[in-house]
Amino acid sequence: MNILLFLIFFVIILAGGIYAGFARDPYAKLIGIGLIGGGVMPLIIARGYVDVATALAVIIPLSTIFVLQLCRKGAV
Amino acid sequence: MEASQMIMEELGDIMNSISGPFSSPPINPPGESAELAAIICAIIALYAVIRVILEPDIMRKLPFLNVFSFGVAGIMALLIPHPLGIIAAAAYFIGSTFESNAIASTFAGGVEE
Repeated sequence: MNILLFLIFFVIILAGGIYAGFARDPYAKLIGIGLIGGGVMPLIIARGYVDVATALAVIIPLSTIFVLQLCRKGAV
Repeated sequence: MEASQMIMEELGDIMNSISGPFSSPPINPPGESAELAAIICAIIALYAVIRVILEPDIMRKLPFLNVFSFGVAGIMALLIPHPLGIIAAAAYFIGSTFESNAIASTFAGGVEE
């Protein structure tokens, strides 16, 4: 994997983490967590753990949907 | 001991000769064009992340989250020329689209009861 790709995804994960940490809105926090999950995925693929990436591709959106139940519009 | 090793090697050859999603040829490094395409996808994903972070309205963030997910799915498919890599990319593509749609649907009020 090219070092440029590594750097770009390092920046994406860092930006997503900082954004998720500092965002006030719960939906914005969820979007930040989605950015972290998406940024991690190519790094897992680059190491060759394709089965792990497949499992994560199913687990991450499911966990987001479960967290969404907690921050419905009326409940916040 | 040697006989068992020979049997294992022959079994490995037979397993490699069967075509299917779990018995593909060894992974070859992608060519330069795939590398360039992956870098272009990464730049698009980075631009989408910057727009997601700078956009003040949440509903406007979600299309850019989708663009980011599509870029990542493209990179996953381009990095490893292996059938399981394509399956992982397709799973991520579908899952991330569901995620964005779920966030948008919940933010907009969801289904009326």
